[in-house]
Amino acid sequence: MTVDSPVQPKPRPVRHVPTVDSVTTINTDGSRHDIHPADVHGRFTTARRWSGWGLIAFYLVLPWIPVNGYPAVFLDIAEGRFHFFGYTLAAQDTWLLFFGVSGLGFALFFLTALFGRLWCGWACPQTVYLEHVYRVIERWIDGDAPARRALTAAPLTPGKAAKRVFKHACYIVASLLITHLFLSYFVSLPEVWHMMRSDPGEHWAAFVFVFTAAGILYFNFAWFREQLCIVICPYGRLQSALTDEHSLNIGYDQKRGEPRGKLGTPDAGACVACSRCVQVCPTGIDIRHGLQLECIGCAACIDACDEVMAKLTRPLGLIRYDSLVKFAGGRTRWLRPRTVTYGILLLIGATVAGFAFSSVKPASFLVYRMSGAAYFVGHDDVRNQFLVRLVNKRSVPAVLKVQTHGVPDGVKQTGFDAPVTIPALGEQVSPLVLTIDRKHYTGPFHFTVEVEDEADTFELKRAVEFMGPEPRLLREEEEEREHAAREKEDHANGKTH
Amino acid sequence: MNPPSSHQPTEDSGIPLRPHTYDGIQEYDQRLPNWWLYTLYGAIAFSIVFWFAYMIARVMPTDAARVEAEMSRLAAIRLASSIDVTNDALFWDMSRNPVFTEAGKQTFTSLCVACHLPSLKGKGENPTAVGPNLVDQAWIHGGTPKEIYATVSKGVLAKGMPTWEPVLGQKKTAEVVAYVLSHHQQGEPITIEVPK
Repeated sequence: MTVDSPVQPKPRPVRHVPTVDSVTTINTDGSRHDIHPADVHGRFTTARRWSGWGLIAFYLVLPWIPVNGYPAVFLDIAEGRFHFFGYTLAAQDTWLLFFGVSGLGFALFFLTALFGRLWCGWACPQTVYLEHVYRVIERWIDGDAPARRALTAAPLTPGKAAKRVFKHACYIVASLLITHLFLSYFVSLPEVWHMMRSDPGEHWAAFVFVFTAAGILYFNFAWFREQLCIVICPYGRLQSALTDEHSLNIGYDQKRGEPRGKLGTPDAGACVACSRCVQVCPTGIDIRHGLQLECIGCAACIDACDEVMAKLTRPLGLIRYDSLVKFAGGRTRWLRPRTVTYGILLLIGATVAGFAFSSVKPASFLVYRMSGAAYFVGHDDVRNQFLVRLVNKRSVPAVLKVQTHGVPDGVKQTGFDAPVTIPALGEQVSPLVLTIDRKHYTGPFHFTVEVEDEADTFELKRAVEFMGPEPRLLREEEEEREHAAREKEDHANGKTH
Repeated sequence: MNPPSSHQPTEDSGIPLRPHTYDGIQEYDQRLPNWWLYTLYGAIAFSIVFWFAYMIARVMPTDAARVEAEMSRLAAIRLASSIDVTNDALFWDMSRNPVFTEAGKQTFTSLCVACHLPSLKGKGENPTAVGPNLVDQAWIHGGTPKEIYATVSKGVLAKGMPTWEPVLGQKKTAEVVAYVLSHHQQGEPITIEVPK
C-alpha cells in the first residue's frame, strides 16, 4: 500500500488529495472542505437515479392512497391505531414492533454480510434525498462541478447572491414538503391541510415539529451532507463487524491497475491516473486506497472508471463490486459461517414474526374485578363481579358474543345475555356478574371468558378465577344458622305447648 | 487482508503523531472537525445558561412548580364544571330534564342493569337479582337525592356496590342519580329498610 501524498515539511492548510490518514472533508485547521462531485454517467448511476426516485415516490404517495378508509400507512398516535395497507394494529399490539425492528436488523445483517454497504448507497434516505433531490437542485442552479467550485470562489456579486438565495429557497421548499408529508403519516393528509390553513397556535406542537424537522433537514442536506455518514451514522461503524473479506464491496483491482501511468507509459497497469474516480466521489475518498470507512457504496467511481476504460477500449471493471478475496486473486465464498448464521437468524426471526403477526386478532378484551371486595357472600349465594372491556380494533363495527365456559352447575350469569355491537375502533366496558348458590358451591374455581365475533372468524380467551371463601366455613355458618333456626322454632313450640 | 489496517502512520505524511505507543500502535494528532467542537462549546454554554436560569436566577419554573401549576389548572376545571351534590332540589330538577335522564339511562343500561335489572326493580322483580329495588319507596342507604348520590359515588363495598365516581366521573354519576330519581316523586314518603 502506497501513500501518494508528497513529503512535505509543514502540515498543509487544506488537503485536496485524499489519503487514508485523514478525512478529506476536514481541513487540517478543522474547517470544512466542501465536496463538489463531478457529473457521472453510467449504468449504476442510471439505475440508482430511478430506484432513488422510485423510493421517494413511494414515500410521497403512501399517505394519498386510501385503503379501507384510511391512508395506506397511517400511524394514528392520537387514537393509538396503526394502519398498514388495510391491516390495523392497536396500541395493545406494540409488542409486534419488537419483531418489526429485529426483523429489519436481521435482514440488514444478512444483506450486509453478503453485499456490504448496499443500503447506504442505494436505499438510505440520507443518500436518496441528497443525491436525487438536493444535489439535483444544486446541479440545476449552480452548474457542474467546475462551475460550482468557481462560483464558491467568486466574490459576492448580485448574480451570485441571487443564485444562492434561489438555491437555498429551493432547499427549504423541498425540506418543508418532506416534513409535511412526514407529518401526514401521523395525522392524515386532510388534517395536515387543515392545520396548514389554520392558526399555528391551535396546533402548536405539530407546527413546531414540522418547522424544526424542516430546519434540521435543510441544515443536513444543504451543508452537513456526508459528515452524517462519516462522523455520525452508527451503521457505517457497525459494518466493520458485519462484513468480512468475502463480502461484496466497491474496490479497485490493484493487480490490474498498478503501477499507474499515463497513457503510453511503458510497463504501466490499467489505471491511467486520470483521477475521475476521485472527482466523482461524494465523500471525497480515493477508492484506489482500498476499502475505507467513508465509502457509502454509491458506485459512482465504477461508472466513472468504466467510462474511461471504455474510451480506451480496455476491459471494464477496474473498479467494481467484488470481494477483497477476489481482488487479491482468490475466490469469493458466499456460503460461510457468517452468512449462514445471519441467514438462520433471519429465517427464525421471520418465522416467529409471521406467527406473531398472524396471531393478532381484530379485537381485544380484558376481564377485571369491580372495585370493592374480591367476592361477596350473600344469604344464599357467593358472588363475583367483573368488568369486561371490549376493544374493536377494526375500522368497521363489530358484533361480539361474550360467553363463559367451564363454570360449575348452579352458576347464574348476569350481563352479556345478547351479542354487543362495538362501533368502529370503539371500546365498551360492561359488567359480568357470576353468582353461585351455596348448595352448589365447592370452593374457588377457574373458568374462561370467550369472545367471538358473529361470523366465528376469531376467538379470544381469558382464564379468570372465581374467588370465594373456604366451603367448610360456609357449611359451618349454614349449620349454625339451621341450629339457631331450630332452637328458635323449638322455643316457639315450647311456648305454645 | 484489509490493506488500510496494515497501514502504519509515518512522520513524512505531514500529520503530527502523538508521542505514545501502545502495543506498537501510534495515533495521529489531528484536529476535530470545527462543527464538532462547536457542538461541544455550545453544550458547555448551554449548561451554564441552564444552570443559571434554573438554580440561580430561578426564571424557569422547577418541575415541582410545573406539576403543581398543572394540578391546580385541572382542579380549577373540575371545580368550574362540578355541581353541588348535596343540593336535593338540583337533583330533582335534573330528574325532570330529559337531557340528563336520557344520558343517565344510557349509563344505567350499560353498567347498572347487571344487578338492578333494566326495570330498576332488582330483587323486587326477581329475588335472585343482586341489587335492591330502586323504584319502591324503601331505601337501605337513604332515599334523599344527596344520599342516593353518596351511595352511587362511594358504593357499598360490603354488599358489592362498587365506587362509581372514580370510574364515571361526577357528571355521569349525577346523570344516573337523575335517572333513578325520574322514577320517583319529590316529597314521597321514604322508609328505611334494614336488609335481611
